[in-house]
Amino acid sequence: MPSPSNPQSPTPNPFGKPLYACLYRPPALDHSAASASTLVDIAQQFSPRYERHRDDLVSIDVTGLGHLLGPAPVIGEELQRDATSRGLHPHIAIGGTRMAAMLVALARPGLTVIECGGEAEALAPITVGLLATIDFQVSTFSAERSELRLETLQRWGLRTLGELAALPPADLVARLGRQALTWQAMARGEDIRPLVPTLEEERFESSLDLEWPIEGLEPLSFVLTRLLEPLSTRLERRDRGAAVLHVVLRLVTRQEYARRLQLPSPLRDVRTLRTLALLDLESHPPDAAIDRVAVIIDPTPGRVLQHTLFTRAHPTPEQLSTLVARLGALMGHDRFGAPAVVDTYRPGAFAMTAFATEHKPDTRKSEVRSLKSEGEDTSDFRLQTSDFSRVVSALRRCRQPVPARVAMADGRPVRVTTDRRGFAGGAVTRCAGPWRSSGNWWNTATGKSEVGSLKPESPSVSLTPVSLTPVSQTSDFRLQTSRAWARDEWDVALNDGAVYRIVQDRVTEAWFIDAIVD
Amino acid sequence: MPLARVDLESLLRTRRLDRTLTTALPPLDPRDDAACAPSGVFSLDARLGGGFPRGQLSEVVGPRSSGRTSVMLQLVAAATGRGELVALVDALDMFDVESAAAAGIDLDRLLWIRGHVVSNPGMCRDTNQRALEQAIRAFTLVLHAGNFGVVVFDAAEAPADAIRRLPFTTWLRLQRIVEGSQTTCLLVGAEPMARSSAGLTLRLRPEGSRASERVGIEDLGRGIRFGKCLFEGLTIDGRVVRARVREREEATVAFSTVAADCA
Repeated sequence: MPSPSNPQSPTPNPFGKPLYACLYRPPALDHSAASASTLVDIAQQFSPRYERHRDDLVSIDVTGLGHLLGPAPVIGEELQRDATSRGLHPHIAIGGTRMAAMLVALARPGLTVIECGGEAEALAPITVGLLATIDFQVSTFSAERSELRLETLQRWGLRTLGELAALPPADLVARLGRQALTWQAMARGEDIRPLVPTLEEERFESSLDLEWPIEGLEPLSFVLTRLLEPLSTRLERRDRGAAVLHVVLRLVTRQEYARRLQLPSPLRDVRTLRTLALLDLESHPPDAAIDRVAVIIDPTPGRVLQHTLFTRAHPTPEQLSTLVARLGALMGHDRFGAPAVVDTYRPGAFAMTAFATEHKPDTRKSEVRSLKSEGEDTSDFRLQTSDFSRVVSALRRCRQPVPARVAMADGRPVRVTTDRRGFAGGAVTRCAGPWRSSGNWWNTATGKSEVGSLKPESPSVSLTPVSLTPVSQTSDFRLQTSRAWARDEWDVALNDGAVYRIVQDRVTEAWFIDAIVD
Repeated sequence: MPLARVDLESLLRTRRLDRTLTTALPPLDPRDDAACAPSGVFSLDARLGGGFPRGQLSEVVGPRSSGRTSVMLQLVAAATGRGELVALVDALDMFDVESAAAAGIDLDRLLWIRGHVVSNPGMCRDTNQRALEQAIRAFTLVLHAGNFGVVVFDAAEAPADAIRRLPFTTWLRLQRIVEGSQTTCLLVGAEPMARSSAGLTLRLRPEGSRASERVGIEDLGRGIRFGKCLFEGLTIDGRVVRARVREREEATVAFSTVAADCA
C-alpha cells in the first residue's frame, strides 16, 4: 500500500501527482471500425479527460482515481477488466507521464505499471524505432511536425531509447537540430505537450413543454425565439453556424410533426432562423395545436468573409435566404429561381435552377463611361445608330400559345386574328418564313416517328422545385417533357405595328401566336 | 423646458423615426458616375446622362414591338456584366430565356420571379388582377431585401385597367423603399405607371410611327426591318422625359435592335 510516511519505499501511485493510462489495441485480422469507439467508450467510463490519438490509441488522465479505486495497479486491473468485458485485450500502461505510458503500451502487451520516477528506466530497453510510430506535434501551438531521422540514429548504432536518452544534448542538437531535443525528451518519457481532451460532439438542441397548447404562428414565434436565442449564443461561442434546422412539434394528438430546413449558408442569427422556420410552417402548417416545441440544429463551421472596398455589395446570404423563403411562401417554390438554357432546339425551352445565395464578387472593373452631355442642350436632335453595342431584339413568350386564325394567300399569311383579349390581330404588312423545326421525334417506344401536337396546355418548360438547399457547382435541371414537336414559324408584322412570331403545328395544322417581338 | 427642434430631430433619428412620407434620404449625387446604371447602349446612355438613375423609379413604356423588352434585357445584361445581382418580377410570365442568353445576361445572377397568369380567366376576371397584386408584393419583398443592382417590374402586357386599379399609394411606397439606395428600379409597361421625382420615363416607339394618328402601312413599316426572308430587327425612336424642379426636360434618342438570328 502506498505510504506517504515512507518515501523510500516505491510508491507507484503517490496521491496528488499526475497519473496517466494509455490503451493501445494492436492490429488484428478482425479489427473493425467499431474498435475506435470502443476504446473511447472504455476511457469515458473512467475519466472525462481522455485524448483519442488514433483509432487504436487512447490516453486517459486518471489522476485522482486513486481516491476511488486505489493505487495504479488496481486502476490498471479495472481497465483490463472493463476491456475484457467488451471483448478487447488492449495493451494497458499506467505511468506518471503520458509519453511513458504511451510508449510502454505500444511496446508491451498486457498491463504494465511504471513506477513513479522510473519512466526513463522503464523506457530504456524499448527500441528506438517505436518513436517513429508516434505522430506528435512539436508543440501545442504549432503545426510543425518533426520527422524522426531514424536511419541516422540506426547508422550511429543506437538501438534503444535508453541509448538515445544517454547522448549529450548539445552534440545531438549540433548534428540533428533542435528537434532532436524533442526526441530525446520523448525517449526519457517526458511529456512534450499537455493532454488535449477529446470533446464529445456537442448537441445543439433545445425544447420546451408548453403549459397550454398553442395554435397559430404568432405565439409559436415567441417560443421559437426563446429556444433559438441560447442556441445562437452557443453556436457563436463555438464559431459554428446552423447548416440544418429541425423543428419538431408534438401535437395534442400525440403525433410528432417535424420540419427540416436545409439552410444555404451557415446562419446563427436568431431573427433569420426564426423567420425561416415560421415561413416554412406557414407553408406547411401542422394539423393540430402544439404542446411541445423542440429545435435541433446541425452545426457547421462558420463562414469566413473577406470584405472588400472596391466591389459592389451584394445581398447577404441571410437576406437572400429570407427573401427566397418569403418568395416561396408567396409565389410557390417553383415560381422563382435562376433561369438556365437547356440543350435542345425546342423553342422557348428553359430550366429553373435554385438562385444561389452566395455570389463571388466580380473583380472586373466596371466600365463606367461618363456620357453626360455637356451643357443643358435639350434641342431635339437625332443620333446615328452606332455599333458600340448590339441590342438584340427580344421576344416575349406566350407561355400558353394563343390560338389564332391565319388567312393564307400564295402560301404566305395575309391576316392574323384571335379571340384573345389584347390580341386583336390585323392584316399582315410584312412577313418572313416559314422556318421549319422539329424534334424529339426519336423519343418513341415503338421506334416509329410520332409527332406530338402543340397544345396550349403543354408549355415547354421544366419546373425544378426550389428549396433552401446549398447551390451545387453544377445546376440540376431536367426537361419535364420530351414530346416530339414539328412546326413552321413565321415572323409577321401587322398593321397595328406589332410584330409576332406565329407558328403552325404541322400535325394539327393549328395556328398559334407563340411570341411577341419587342 | 420645451424641446428644441434640433433635440427633437436627434431623438427621432435615434429611434429611426426620422423618415416619413414627405422626407427622404438624401439622393445620390447625380454628378457621380456610380449614381447611374449604364444600359450599355451608347446612344441611349448619352441621352440619359450616363444611364438609368439609381435609387429612383424609372419607366420604359411604349406600345407592343417598340423595343421595351430589348432595352430592358440590355440593361440587365449590362448590370450582370458588372457583377450586380438583378431581379426580374415577370408579372405575366413572358420572359424568354433564349433572348436573355442572346443579350448576354449572366443568368446565374438573375432572380426570375414568374407571376401566376391564367390565359383565359373567363368569369374569373379578377384572377389576373390578383396575379398583378401578387407580383407587386413580390416586387416589394425584393426591394426590401436590398442590394440588388437592378430590379425590374415587367408588366408590359398587363391591361391598362388592371394597372390603374392598383392603389396609387403602391408606387409611393415603392419609391420610398428604393430612395437613397444603389438599386435601379425599372418599370416596363405600355403606359406610364409611376416615376419618382428624379427618375425618368423612356417612351419608345418604332421609327416612323406616330401615336394617335391614322398612318399608312408605309409609315409603320419603316421601324420594322425585314430582309429577303428574315426578320432583321427594329429601329426605335425614344423620348426621354425627366421631371425637374422648374423645367420639363425631354430629349430623343434613336437606336436599332438586331434579331438574334442576325446578331
